[in-house]
Amino acid sequence: MEAFAILAQTGLTGDEAKAAAAAGSAGFAYGLAAIGPGIGIGYLVGKSVEAMARQPEAAGMVRTTMFLGIAFTEALALIGFVVFILIGL
Amino acid sequence: MLTAVVTRGAQIEVSFVTAEEGEGEHSIDCEFPVKDEQGHETGVCDTGPSPIAPEMKEVAWGAGAFIVMALLMRFFLYPRLKKGMDARYALIRGGHEQADAARASARAEVAEYESALATVKAEANDRVEAARQILEAERTARLTDVNADIAAKRDAANAEAAAAREAVRSDIAAAVVDVTSRTIELSIGRVPDASPIRSAVDEAMSAGVAQ
Amino acid sequence: MLALEFPPINEILRWKDLFPTFNKVALIGVAAALIAIVIFLLASNQDGLKAPKGVRNLAETIVEFIEEQIIMPTMGRQGLGWTPFLLSLFVFIYLCNVPGIIPIIYMPATARIAIPLVLSLLVWVVFIGVGFKHQGISYIKNSLFPPGVPGPLYILVAPIEFISTFLVRPFSLTVRLFANMLAGHILLVTFALLTEELVQGDSWILKPVGVLPFFMLMFITGFEVLVGFLQAYIFTILASVYIGGAAHPEH
Repeated sequence: MEAFAILAQTGLTGDEAKAAAAAGSAGFAYGLAAIGPGIGIGYLVGKSVEAMARQPEAAGMVRTTMFLGIAFTEALALIGFVVFILIGL
Repeated sequence: MLTAVVTRGAQIEVSFVTAEEGEGEHSIDCEFPVKDEQGHETGVCDTGPSPIAPEMKEVAWGAGAFIVMALLMRFFLYPRLKKGMDARYALIRGGHEQADAARASARAEVAEYESALATVKAEANDRVEAARQILEAERTARLTDVNADIAAKRDAANAEAAAAREAVRSDIAAAVVDVTSRTIELSIGRVPDASPIRSAVDEAMSAGVAQ
Repeated sequence: MLALEFPPINEILRWKDLFPTFNKVALIGVAAALIAIVIFLLASNQDGLKAPKGVRNLAETIVEFIEEQIIMPTMGRQGLGWTPFLLSLFVFIYLCNVPGIIPIIYMPATARIAIPLVLSLLVWVVFIGVGFKHQGISYIKNSLFPPGVPGPLYILVAPIEFISTFLVRPFSLTVRLFANMLAGHILLVTFALLTEELVQGDSWILKPVGVLPFFMLMFITGFEVLVGFLQAYIFTILASVYIGGAAHPEH
């Protein structure tokens, strides 16, 4: 927030102000998009490790399913990343 | 739209600087200069399409390369590789089966040997048993012989003893008759008739034995 | 004065055309296909009855990985016919990812959207084709109206199923591969640039600090090896799941 204040004092004009706003909001977009998938993947992998420890003979199946779940969960964070590229750069 | 951290002395200031204000090394030579109609460079750089827009040439080359590779893999490379793998697996499986068969036959031989051993053992046991039975029979026969012998001897001894007792008894009876008749003769003065005395003595003796 | 200037994103992704219509990404794509073809050609030329070694060992390991780790858990035995397709998919994506960490080349071909888009559209066409081949016209009915949902809810469920099956699947396949590789590439560029600016900058105090981003660069390079493999694996296993689901409804 302090950075925004400093930026406001510099008195940017037109395109520069737009670029500044875009850079700031791109950071927020990616940061917010990373929260949910971060929690989700942590929970998913934790539960998978628990399952593998409880039933080591089912570890292969659990691992495959875990990777699938990670792939689906991660997609949200990656869409956030694409949005970050679209508006920020 | 370039971000920059500009430090002056100990203070850190954040501000936006354009490429010309900074060192500007990236704007000196363009990789993608925009050309005008005559083919001269205009000094403006082509920033290119959006980074998430697909470029047609990449799509075409990528698709072409992948499809050629997938078709080759499907109809030529993979079947050849798989054929070799299957042949080797079949060979290995054949080897395994052979080993299994050899193991089974060896196991059968062992079983056969063990059964032969068992019959031999059983035969030996039978013989030992038969010999033991013969011995047993002989022993019991001997034992009965000896027992019979002992019984006969005991009977003879018993008979002898009975005869001796009878003889002693008749001696005693004769002596008692003698003493009795002598007593009577002394008391009445004449020789009494012997037969009543003998019967009385016999009666008394047998009564005494019976009591 | 120290100025750290991050280049515009297209500058780290684009390359001059070698000749018209042929650039670095196309070159990497073609090279990946050629390398895969050469590896499998050499492998299949070796005697299959001997114990595999060298190239053949590599090729057989990949084939067995595809069969045991990707097809068996998702499609079962009847999916083994898809091995060549999934094998080419895996090998091609992996060989397109790997140049991202090879010095001099330093460009994952999948960090441009073209190749992921092509591959996921191909998978999309294939799994829809398989669905129609195995279930006929009722494939639409089976995938839009899953059994076990109370009647009125189908008004809600059918559009959701349509979007998630026919639109989100190719989109998420594309974006997952593309964004992962692009993010890795940007990370590498960032730390390489930071190292360079710190070590070659004017400030004497900051020069030794340049070691830190250099170690980070090494670490991220190692991480990218893993990511390149994992993304190829995930793309292939998702393709396998989609094809298996289209071939046999209700899994």
